[in-house]
Amino acid sequence: MRSGHTWHDRHLGYFFVLPATLMLVAVLVFPAFITLKLSVTPEGGSGWNLTLIHYQNAMRDPVLLQTFKNTFAFVAWSLVGHFVLGLGLALALNQALPGQTFFRLVALIPWTIPDVVAGIIFRWALNPINGCLNPLIRMFYPDFPAEFQWLSSPTLAFPSVIVANVWRGYPLVMVMLLAGLMAIPRELYEAAAVDGAGRLKRFFHVTLPGLSTIILIALALDMVWEFRRFALVVTMTGGGPGTLTEVLSTLVYKTYFQFFTFEYASAMAILMSVVLFILSLPYILLVGRERQ
Amino acid sequence: MSGASLTSNQRERRLDAVMSYSLLTVSALFALLPVVWMLSTSLKSESEALSLPIHWIPQQPTIGAYVEMWTLKPFALYFWNSIVVSGVTAALSTIVGGLAGYGFSRFHFRGRTSLLAFFLATQMISGVLVIGPYFRILAAVELYNTLTGLVIAYVTICLPFAAWMSKGYFDSIPRELDEAGLVDGASRLQIFLRIICPIAVPGTVSTLLFAFLLAWQDLLWALCLISIDEKRTVTLGVAFSVGEFIIKWPMLTAASLIGSLPTIILYLFLQRYYVEGLARGAVKG
Repeated sequence: MRSGHTWHDRHLGYFFVLPATLMLVAVLVFPAFITLKLSVTPEGGSGWNLTLIHYQNAMRDPVLLQTFKNTFAFVAWSLVGHFVLGLGLALALNQALPGQTFFRLVALIPWTIPDVVAGIIFRWALNPINGCLNPLIRMFYPDFPAEFQWLSSPTLAFPSVIVANVWRGYPLVMVMLLAGLMAIPRELYEAAAVDGAGRLKRFFHVTLPGLSTIILIALALDMVWEFRRFALVVTMTGGGPGTLTEVLSTLVYKTYFQFFTFEYASAMAILMSVVLFILSLPYILLVGRERQ
Repeated sequence: MSGASLTSNQRERRLDAVMSYSLLTVSALFALLPVVWMLSTSLKSESEALSLPIHWIPQQPTIGAYVEMWTLKPFALYFWNSIVVSGVTAALSTIVGGLAGYGFSRFHFRGRTSLLAFFLATQMISGVLVIGPYFRILAAVELYNTLTGLVIAYVTICLPFAAWMSKGYFDSIPRELDEAGLVDGASRLQIFLRIICPIAVPGTVSTLLFAFLLAWQDLLWALCLISIDEKRTVTLGVAFSVGEFIIKWPMLTAASLIGSLPTIILYLFLQRYYVEGLARGAVKG
């Protein structure tokens, strides 16, 4: 019955999709091309006198290299933290124990706090004199230094930022995995139990296979988000001490708006986006294949 | 019941419950302590917040900080700016994105798959890629330091999200409804406006609210496109307070809490829709 409308439908489809497409081209694709153009323009230059000098400089820039390493470490450890805590909590919450609703709501709270605020909370909690962490630790280990400077410590500043980011981000992975767990049919567990499968066996043969797609989607998405993380780092450490907690977003921002070297910043932004695009491919392929 | 009479199944369940409760309790403390500490600080006076030893419960609770944030800093103005910018962005993105979502859901036109992939890919882009050109272009057309400029920037985050989220929602509405409309002689636009839109109200509302929250939480764009106090958003106002030479912690924590209220309330109420949206490929920016 649809055949009579096919020609018409084809054109109407464009009518619906066109406004959004044009808007995105105007506000996103066009500016992205300007960034690309800027990244191959000599500093302060204009026109079509192109150069690769900024990319060559980027390859030799120890700060950029360090920041790439920081960002990868930040993403990797955040993902590990989000996954371990998220899966553990999802499994615990999936047992329909008394008090489940309460624990579920409490576990969701960090998700509802904006990044900017999460950074501020941890900056204040880790404050060496008036923060709450040092006194808490001293309750259990009285020998711990009273005014330990977490965020000025060369060794512990970066792990502190990662812990804050684990706090901020685990709930979303948790809810996604919990939704996945609830979708696994009870009969599969019962059948496995009848076959004499123990708990571990059921976990590895029923739970994990049932969750595999949602785990992949959750981690692929989380990877993209953590790679772009900005506000948390800005309010918690501002990238310091030195550049020890600098991530790519904050470095590009600073290169633009504090050092005002627009051409070099553009080259950095392009490099970052290329890596980000590669990281987001798994997600685009996963979701693209499932939802056409 | 003695231990010996428990079946192995019951023992397993007990062990599971004990392990679950331990994990839940420890992580509840992890989740709550930082927030409780913030709440407690916001109810202290400046001198109490800086006095030792620290107290988890304010000795002389006061709402002074909550009063101070409106008078000492123009937080009312920051709120107004955030509401206007996030509201306009959300409405614009939901309408234009909703049209696109319906187009993707119902029509099979040439280039549809590539265009879908394009919309998905634009959600993955970091704002960092385009902030430089934005700064220059908006300065050139005198939209730097304006809320209009900020709305344009936020469309880059909210529009791809809204298009994907609403596509998923329209997919869940049976096509038979469209076809029944066609049989009755209604045009495609009439079908969309009179039949599908009313059914899509819940999905549209959640798309609208999530787009609002996306814009509300942004810091990067506001930091790059706003440099005057009168145009700051809440997140920008909060972020600037933390950079000041002397940080007034009770006021800052109070402002942070009030500024987080929309996100706290909406996320807790809408989490179910959010997870469904994620499963459909809609993404937070």
